[in-house]
Amino acid sequence: MKHESVPIYWRNIPQYYRLVAKRCKKCGATYFPPVVRCRCGSLELENVELPREGKLVEFTVLYQVGTDFLKQKPLIIGIVELANGVRVTGQIIDAQPNKLTPGTKVETVFRRVVVDGKHGLVMYGYKFRPVE
Amino acid sequence: MKDVYIVGAALHPVGRHYGKNIDDMAAEVLEKAIGDAGVDVDAVLVASSTAELAERQQLLGSYILESLGLNKTPAFRVENGDGSGGAAISMAYGLLKSEEYNCVAVVGVDKPNDVLSNQQQDIYAAVVDTYFERYFGVTPLSQAALMAKMYLKKYEYRYEDLAQWALLMHNNGVGNPYAYLRRQVKLEDAVNSELVSEPLRLYDIGPLADGAAAAVLCNNRKDGPRLLSVSASTNSTPFNAREDYDVLYSLRDASQLAFKKAKITPRDIATAEVHDSFSILGVLAVEGLGMAQKGGALAAVKDGALPVNLSGGLKSRGNVLGATGVYQLVEVAWQLLGREFKRVDGSYGVIHSMGGVDRFSTVAVVAL
Repeated sequence: MKHESVPIYWRNIPQYYRLVAKRCKKCGATYFPPVVRCRCGSLELENVELPREGKLVEFTVLYQVGTDFLKQKPLIIGIVELANGVRVTGQIIDAQPNKLTPGTKVETVFRRVVVDGKHGLVMYGYKFRPVE
Repeated sequence: MKDVYIVGAALHPVGRHYGKNIDDMAAEVLEKAIGDAGVDVDAVLVASSTAELAERQQLLGSYILESLGLNKTPAFRVENGDGSGGAAISMAYGLLKSEEYNCVAVVGVDKPNDVLSNQQQDIYAAVVDTYFERYFGVTPLSQAALMAKMYLKKYEYRYEDLAQWALLMHNNGVGNPYAYLRRQVKLEDAVNSELVSEPLRLYDIGPLADGAAAAVLCNNRKDGPRLLSVSASTNSTPFNAREDYDVLYSLRDASQLAFKKAKITPRDIATAEVHDSFSILGVLAVEGLGMAQKGGALAAVKDGALPVNLSGGLKSRGNVLGATGVYQLVEVAWQLLGREFKRVDGSYGVIHSMGGVDRFSTVAVVAL
């Protein structure tokens, strides 16, 4: 139950490393997490990388965390709206909660997410940090 | 199609039951419910959210029936997270309406206290998207907190207003002999309680607790309250892409259909049990059912006389995860009958069972 399994992690590397989303070729709707079928009914979807700049929609400081994150608590969990309007939920880092507000400009960064001390596995992914 | 009646029911007191196995606890209430109904059941639906995760038990139905010596009866497991109870009721209703079976028992059971509290967080977080939410540390609590923050800002409430929800739930729970936390609380207790995901505090969370509930539903006997309609809906929009954070879409869609089929309006509701795993979700559920206008639920709570969660809700009765929906059905039936609860003034009760933070909802209408 603790960390994600290696195959799960490996499958999602394009999303975790480069924010690869699916865009509908017919209506242009973009999905993150990626989907198989667009709401318009089309099955023609292509991979697109999401922009790395965005702004904070809202955030919460989370003190009650799961076993993977005990050493990192509290976590700041935020909803980020990227430059093309697509939203992503994730951790906000390198930030003072009292200086964050909706509208704060953020950028996507590549960070360590989970470390499994027992087997030495380190898993990475996107997080967001405020830009000056 | 034949009508469906709730002909028997039983509840296990909610709490920490270290001395009982999950199958024994479920068998205990199932035996009582079948005895209460005085009928044989053709099938059993088992609602459990965490049997695999907390108990490492699959095929739970078979072991529950083994404990009762009920051979050959088919038992089906239904899992929709903490909305499993509602999902199982929905399935049972469909089986009876199709007349494939005449009497079906629904039993809900979960034992979150069989694991340590840190592990409980991991288990409960299994209802969020494992790849794009849980992987990054996002939990149902943090999602509810984001919704609470946006709701309080949008409708210009203070945290003290939200804390009224916990007060109302504890007040109601005192009258429920099966509730986990049967005591009244003060506003300062809630306001000064531990911050868990701001703005939410400890008193905004329904404590995870062990419990089991069972109901026997029949389409060939006219005893007890009638299950007028049951509707369910999934909200497939991910949390990050929600249009609004103060609407429970799964509840909205399920309740519109359930009310239409039952030919009732929100004004007819004499008692409602809603899924307040976190205070804000109870608030949004009251609005989603049309018992208060949008943004008006907390004002209605303060005014009192809102007939919601007379059991004490998940806050006071306890969050029994997958068993919750079955508790709610029995509670509403008994409130309408005046059995073990104070009798409510009216003929219609509603239950709202939800899986995750607005991922799945069942709404059932019960009539006396």
